[in-house]
Amino acid sequence: MRSRLVHLGSVAAIVALLAVTAVGLLLGDRAPVDRAYELQQQLRCPVCTSVSIAESQSDTAVAMRRAVDEQIAAGRSNTEIIDYFRARYGDWVLLDPPARGRTTLLWLLPAGAALLGLAAVAARARRAPPPTTELSPGDRERVAAAVDRARSRPAEEEP
Amino acid sequence: MTTEDLFAGSSISAAIPAAGWTGALLGLAASLVLTVLGFRAQRRPEAVRHRQLRITVWLVLGGAALSMLALEVALLTDNFAMAYVAEEHSRSSSLIYTITTAWSGLGGSIVLWALVLAGYLAVVARQVRSTEDRLGTGALAVLALVAVFFFGLITTVANPFEILANPPADGPGPNPLLRDHILVAFHPPMLYLGYVGFTVPFAFAMSALLLRRGGVDWLRRTRHANLVAWSFLSGGVVLGAWWSYEVLDWGGYWAWDPVENAALIPWLVATAFVHSSVVQVKRGMLQAWNFVLVIATFALTILGTFLTRSAATQSVHNFTQSAVGPALLAFFVLVLGGGFTLFALRGERVASLSRPESLASREGLFLVNNLLLSLFAFVVLLGTVYPILVEAITGAQVSVGRPYFDRMAVPIGFGLLLAMGVGPFTPYRYATADVLWSRLRLPLLGASVAAAALVLAGIRSVGVVAIVFLAVAMAGATLRQLVVSAPGRRPRDLLRLVTSQRAYWGGQLAHLGVALVAVVIATSGALADRATVTLDRGEAAEFAGYSLTFERSEQHRQPDRLVTDAHIAFRAEGEVVRVARPRLSSFAGRPQAVGGPSVWSTPTRDIYVALADLQPDRVTLNLYHYPLMSWMWVGGVLVMAGGCWALSGRVRRPAEPEQVTAAKEPAGA
Repeated sequence: MRSRLVHLGSVAAIVALLAVTAVGLLLGDRAPVDRAYELQQQLRCPVCTSVSIAESQSDTAVAMRRAVDEQIAAGRSNTEIIDYFRARYGDWVLLDPPARGRTTLLWLLPAGAALLGLAAVAARARRAPPPTTELSPGDRERVAAAVDRARSRPAEEEP
Repeated sequence: MTTEDLFAGSSISAAIPAAGWTGALLGLAASLVLTVLGFRAQRRPEAVRHRQLRITVWLVLGGAALSMLALEVALLTDNFAMAYVAEEHSRSSSLIYTITTAWSGLGGSIVLWALVLAGYLAVVARQVRSTEDRLGTGALAVLALVAVFFFGLITTVANPFEILANPPADGPGPNPLLRDHILVAFHPPMLYLGYVGFTVPFAFAMSALLLRRGGVDWLRRTRHANLVAWSFLSGGVVLGAWWSYEVLDWGGYWAWDPVENAALIPWLVATAFVHSSVVQVKRGMLQAWNFVLVIATFALTILGTFLTRSAATQSVHNFTQSAVGPALLAFFVLVLGGGFTLFALRGERVASLSRPESLASREGLFLVNNLLLSLFAFVVLLGTVYPILVEAITGAQVSVGRPYFDRMAVPIGFGLLLAMGVGPFTPYRYATADVLWSRLRLPLLGASVAAAALVLAGIRSVGVVAIVFLAVAMAGATLRQLVVSAPGRRPRDLLRLVTSQRAYWGGQLAHLGVALVAVVIATSGALADRATVTLDRGEAAEFAGYSLTFERSEQHRQPDRLVTDAHIAFRAEGEVVRVARPRLSSFAGRPQAVGGPSVWSTPTRDIYVALADLQPDRVTLNLYHYPLMSWMWVGGVLVMAGGCWALSGRVRRPAEPEQVTAAKEPAGA
């Protein structure tokens, strides 16, 4: 009876706390999204080694950052701004490769690998779990006593 | 300088590189001999005497040590007659960066690689007590074969010991980025100890396949080398992130740069191997898979070296283009082709018959862990080599950057944290829901309290809350396991438990380290503040609760560089609490000045100040505020400490006739 109460109590407490968390996350006011920074992180700096224009201090990156800010101020959408840079520098400028054209495989291969892996793991364990029988109270006590004895001895471990 | 001095100088200046080259040639010859002897001994143990093997191993080690010594002596004596010194060294370099210059360039780094490999070879040779140990002699032969390749590089395409007919009076010195922070003395050697260490499990696996012998023998015998390599690689990756953060001036620690990925990919596969070898030792499963992982790990370290040492990728780590790239690529193909051909020919003999009874079990979760880690490695590898392959095939240039990697890594990382939180507390064979619930009830309760507390404290980032939830649950479950399974509640009892089961508790320590790193990745990403400010001298701005003022700019002349720094005073309530000095360093003979950030770390947050532009009376600063940042390095230390703790334990070995007791490798090697 007591263990049942503990069980129910913990379930209730966990559910309540997680509900508080979820409600807080859903209803709380979000930090404003820094659109310019998000866009800058997706554009590759043309004169640097594999960093975005958000992270580079080169003159080109500074000029490109300014261009992003101006376009946002002019009311362009994210896609329009990205397309503007793509038209000028080519697909190379996109750090986030689109799921089309030459970079389609970048998205298909991981999905295929994940499916294959899941299938392999599932096939490894397709048998139904064996039925388990609960120990009798007497057996339980004997096991507990044996475990206590084993624990009080200094043990060597298996590699 | 008199004529006599000149003559004495020139003969010595030729003697040192000659000695280095002789060392490499000795290493090459001795490893060739050892390859032949080792394979011969594996086929017919009585045909080779144990002393022959031992002497050859000493010669390999001696050759590598002589090469490295000659390299260091040449650098320390400013021996510009040697090509490597002329290219990588300058007279004005300080002592410490002169020593580290030995691995700042291509040729020298291969010499270090060969030395580390020879060191591992010597340690493995110590545990081969007689030629009857056929698994051991075969492994020595495979290790020697790998050494042949690297000594071959030193004596041919990557030769640092070439003698110049007209030595220059001085050289340009190493890449400025490689003489700006003391970590360059630790990060590369540590990474090499990790990278090269995986040759040992690979060699034993190949030897076991050649002998058509499955079983756990090769796993038991390589457990130490494997954990040493894994711990060092973990440390190397984290130190690399720290170096990037402290030196590279861009305000981050991980750019998904190809060379960072080159270290991460083998680490992921090796981590999968560390786990799946446990399943094989404990439950006899995943035998064939372990061979796959160990071949993949070694091949990926070679691929990583190729990415670093060739101009195939754009990265700050890249050395100049040379014939070493194609040689490494050919070796990679050879390792991959040879390894998997051998595995395909012998694989069915070593396939395990047992399977997990249920996915809801320790071994089931190990499978999930392996799936996720392999997938992670695959995705990072794909993103890294895809642009290279597309350019090689179609000539078109594409980029794969942070947004792609982040999008892939975040869900996989969550899955791994979840498996880490449940797996170690799940029984083998079959776990009922009751057992799991009784073990995870309190940790889940604690984690829910932590999540709710974060939200009530005003944190609105789903990622941070979810990661903290998982990390607290994991820490709670570990604590519960510690208390419940210890013989008593006193600290002495707990200590006895963690010292008697070092493998398990070392693993738990490493898990806690990973969880801590994950929390910091989340908080430093989602809760960071950034600002760019331009200040005239004496002008003040507000950032992260401080008022900061551009006081002045100073120039400091040092032997090899001119450092210009900006003094930025941070004030809290009118008092100066900190003066940050971000700097620009110009090196003689290098056109571009190198920036150096100022990082102010406290346990609760870092304030990172980088120069965007510096003029005498005007400065533009990039400012970053990262909560909890320094705990990331603590997490990295915990991961490494966990690995070291796991390998410090005594190992009980079954008394088999062929089982030769392994000599314990020093943990700090």
